[in-house]
Parts: sequence; structure tokens; C-alpha cells
Amino acid sequence: MGEPVIIFDHVTKRYKLYKNDRARFMSLFSKRVRYKENRASNDLSFTIEKGESVAFLGKNGAGKSTILKMITGVSYPTEGEVIVNGRVSALLELAAGFNMEFTGRENIYLKCNIMGIDEREIKNLEEDIVKFAELGDYIDQPVRTYSSGMKARLGFAINVNIDPEILIIDEALSVGDRNFRKKCTKKVKEIMRDGDVTLLFVTHSSSDAKAFCDRGIVLEKGKVKFDGNIDEAIKFYEG
Amino acid sequence: MKTIQTIILDHVVYKKQILKLAKADVTKTYRGSAFGWAWAIIKPVVTIFVFWFAFSYGLRGGKPVDGYPYFLWLIAGFIPWFYMSEMITGGAACIRANSHMVTKMKFPISVIPTFTSISKLTIHIILLAIVIVIFMLFGYAPDIYYLQIPLYMLMMVLWFTIWALFAGLLSAISRDFLNLVRAFSTAIFWMSGIIYNVNNIDVHWIRVILNYNPVTIIANGYRHIFIDKTWFFEDLMGMRCYFIVLLVMIVLACWAYKKLYKEIADVM
Repeated sequence: MGEPVIIFDHVTKRYKLYKNDRARFMSLFSKRVRYKENRASNDLSFTIEKGESVAFLGKNGAGKSTILKMITGVSYPTEGEVIVNGRVSALLELAAGFNMEFTGRENIYLKCNIMGIDEREIKNLEEDIVKFAELGDYIDQPVRTYSSGMKARLGFAINVNIDPEILIIDEALSVGDRNFRKKCTKKVKEIMRDGDVTLLFVTHSSSDAKAFCDRGIVLEKGKVKFDGNIDEAIKFYEG
Repeated sequence: MKTIQTIILDHVVYKKQILKLAKADVTKTYRGSAFGWAWAIIKPVVTIFVFWFAFSYGLRGGKPVDGYPYFLWLIAGFIPWFYMSEMITGGAACIRANSHMVTKMKFPISVIPTFTSISKLTIHIILLAIVIVIFMLFGYAPDIYYLQIPLYMLMMVLWFTIWALFAGLLSAISRDFLNLVRAFSTAIFWMSGIIYNVNNIDVHWIRVILNYNPVTIIANGYRHIFIDKTWFFEDLMGMRCYFIVLLVMIVLACWAYKKLYKEIADVM
């Protein structure tokens, strides 16, 4: 098999739940402030290799988002270690992170800049992104004038076109009309064909999971309940 | 020590993004209004006019200072105040204002205050250029003391950027802290000698405390350049106080960073 790109080594993530914001603030200065704990991830260990496509299945609150946040590097584990090798492109919340006053085109540049892509590469990507997003003249209008579907389309277009090494899709395919969904599905499959890109897919829909993924990880209360072939994982999840 | 290393390393890795984001931050502030950029100038001009008017005609205290018209003395210290006041409140809010960078993507938190600061510095430099022109119109041409401008500007930016990191982190987890800072912002203005000369205060211990007030130190520094015509090494006392408060701010910022950087994305 290929090289591992994501390694979870006995990862536990605990959220501290304080009674209110004041208690949280006071906890900076005193260790005596009481809080409850919520284990969003509980001693998770798994390895994902390059080129794999993995679906995370689980009910709300099973800890799926926490895992994705740790992979994107937004959130840190309380215990254990998360190792990620490669450029992560996350479709967590597609409309998030846009600057409302800027035009769609300016947002393409801004977002790519933040991710550290150099100017020349962005110029090359720009046309693909604009074409993919299908915004027409709106691409040069401020994003605040966009509908939610348009924002999502632009977000998706940016994320799939920047040549990600690890692509994370979090319920993102449910946006847009049927044609756009079809196009997204096609694009994701195209990216996956070469076997260089690793796909992580979070969904409630088992048919979507089946369409994209070979492997399924079923989560419950922060623990891995099942890890294996996607068909068996779906059977386990639905059974 | 390790915290400082991490923060500096983040800045080196993200140096290109810092400039891009600063530029975006400036554009964002002034886009979407018909006058756009003009607002960056109009607001300070109106504020200074109001104070100049009140002190020259209303309170009858606007006597010339050191042979310079009160108006010139006022703007020399008022101009850095606009940057400082923006950084006191805007700096404290900077991480909250850019919350999507914390919670939606991998981006070093310590860099957010820096680009916020650079963005506000651009406005400061424009205003400063206007001040120099005004001095010239009054017949005071730039002289050798103007060489100190970069020094005092650097001192100002350094302290207030570190402050923004400290206050931004605390404000991110607690709205109360942000409100506290906002409530004190006006108090700081009136108590730091922006519109009067702190050296004229008779009570000794108040003067001693104000020596350690960074706002006073910087405003005095700008007046050294434009009015007093003294060098920074003639005011060693002020320099020493500056480095003490800088050190205190660095320690506080590191403490807050170390304590909060892992938690911040989870609570916002």
C-alpha cells in the first residue's frame, strides 16, 4: 500500500464546558473553576494512506466534525498525536471565509493567498475556478450580493481546483441544483482517478458514501465502532 | 522563550500573506461607502478640529506651546493617537473580527494582530504626511529631527501589535474583556496627555505613573520630533520606561498565547 498521509495516534479530544463565559474567563487565573468535560474523540487510532477514499459515518455528535477539524489543523488534540502530510483542502463550510465586500474574483485571490499559493499559480487557476463556478457576470460583483447557492458554488470551485492533496468534503455536495451536484461529483471523481489525492467524506447519506468511497469508518460517541470495506460499513451503520 | 520562537517563525512563514491580508483589511474597511478612502481622512480631521476649537475658543487654554501654535502642538501628538486608539479597541477585537481564519482554516493566530496593525499603520502614514505638509504651510520645514520618525513609529507599532495579540486572545474567549477595553479607551485618551502637556501636571506621582503609559511615551516622542526638537537619547528616562512596558507586554502576550492558542478555535 501507499504511504500514510493521515495518522491518528491515540487521539483524545476533550472540550471543557464551563457554566458560562465568565467562568471560562476566570479559569485563566484559577484552576479551581469547575467545568464539565465532553469527550468528542476518545482514544482514536487509525491510519489513512495516500489515494484512499474514506467515508466517516455517524450520527450527530459522534465526533465527525472534531476529527475533520483536527485534520485541517484548526483544532488541537488534548492527548495523542495527529500527523498530516499534504495540502489539505477542506469543504467544511463553503460560504465561510469570504470577504463580503470583495468581488468573487478578488475572493479567489484572497483565499488562495491565505493558503500560500503564489501569484502565478493563482492566475493559472483563476480561469478554471471562474468557469467551474458558473457565476457569469456575478464573478465581478461583491460577494454580499450572492445567494447562498452562489457562494457555495464559488467555495466549491476554489477548493476542488487548487490541486489538493487531501480533500475533505463535509456534506458539501448537498448544495446547488442537480446539475451542479452532478458536475461536482464528476469533478471529485476526476480528481480521485490519479490516486494521488486522498478523500475524506463526511455524510449521513449512505448512497453518496458508496459513490465516492472504498473504505468506511463508523463513529459513535467519539469511538471507532467499525473500520473497513464501505459496503460492510454501511451495513453496520444502518443495521 | 519557545513561545516567542513559534510566533516569530509563524511570521516568517506567512510573511507574504501578512502583506496581502493587510492590504485586504484596508480595502475592506473603506470599500462599500461612496466616499471610500476619504473617510480615513475625514474622521481624524473632524476630531482634531473639534478639540482645537474647544481648546482655542471654548476653554481658553489654547495658548501657544514652546512658541508653536497650539493647533500644531495638538496635531503632533494627536496623529499617533488615532493609530493607538484604533489598536486599543480594534486590536483587541482583531481575532474576533477574523474568526473565520481561526475556526475555518489553518492559519496562525499570532499573525492576525500583525496584519491588522499594518493595515492601520498605512492610514497613520498618510495622516503623518498630511501633518508634515501642514507644518510646512505654517513655515516649519522638515529638519534633521524628522529622522526619528521611523524610530518612534516602530516603537509604537511594536508595542501596540503585541498588545493586540494579548488583548485579542483574551477578547476572543471573553466578550467582557473587550467591553472593558472599550470602556477604558476614552479614559486613556483623556488621561494620557494627548491634548495637554503632561509635564505641566503638578502632582509628582501622577507624572511618574504617566511615564509608564505607552500612549504618553509615544505622543511625547512625536512631539520631541515636531515641537521640542530633542533627540531620543536626550530622553533616556522615557526610553527606559518604554522598554520596561514593552517587556511587560511581551510577557503578558506570551502567557496568553501559550495558555489559549490551542483552545481558541474550540470556543469561538
